[in-house]
Amino acid sequence: MAVPRSRILDLMRAQCRIFNTTFNPTGQRQGGKVLRQRLRGPAIVDYYPPRVRVVQELKRAYPTWEFEDEEEDDRLESIKMRKQRGKGAPKKRTAAESKQLTKRRPKN
Amino acid sequence: MAQFRANRLDLGCFINKFVIRDHTKRKVFTEYETERQALRYIIRNTTLPQRMRASAQLKLSQMHCYTRPTQIHNRCLMGGKGRGVFRDFRMARYQFRVNALEGNIPGVKKASW
Repeated sequence: MAVPRSRILDLMRAQCRIFNTTFNPTGQRQGGKVLRQRLRGPAIVDYYPPRVRVVQELKRAYPTWEFEDEEEDDRLESIKMRKQRGKGAPKKRTAAESKQLTKRRPKN
Repeated sequence: MAQFRANRLDLGCFINKFVIRDHTKRKVFTEYETERQALRYIIRNTTLPQRMRASAQLKLSQMHCYTRPTQIHNRCLMGGKGRGVFRDFRMARYQFRVNALEGNIPGVKKASW
């Protein structure tokens, strides 16, 4: 027994209303495929491991506490030793001094 | 591109310019992914007006190349190499061999029978 097309369409419309889907009897492309895709970003962005700096992060999390940073202490100590030997960084010049030093000679 | 690059180094693996570039691309892609998907939806939806779809196509093609997923390429975490990288171990084939023989990779054992 052949069922008329209009009746089937009515059924489909009712079905779509009940199950809250889109009524699309002609099967047009409506791009729902793109909306259903999952976002890939969160998985992609975690490929490389983050940089972990334990002491700095602890200091930031608990600013009132004190943490021992061996690397930083070593660095400061080596700078102190270098300064004692006269190998430290040069003293920062004032703006006037640096201008005087970089002044160009007048052209002939 | 410099406008996207992080000001502070935020990577804990082997670093060279290619790794930094790839990491930047990953972050930019994640940031713009929803925008790209929205434009792709408009382009794919044939029930929308043609003019709207064409403008979406233009907009998508004019987005910065760092926002494209095809720009992302897995690199070795131990040496920054771009070829012969195992997806599961994130390591190039030689680094994988060295680390596997040392026993640094759990569950990997040299075959012998």
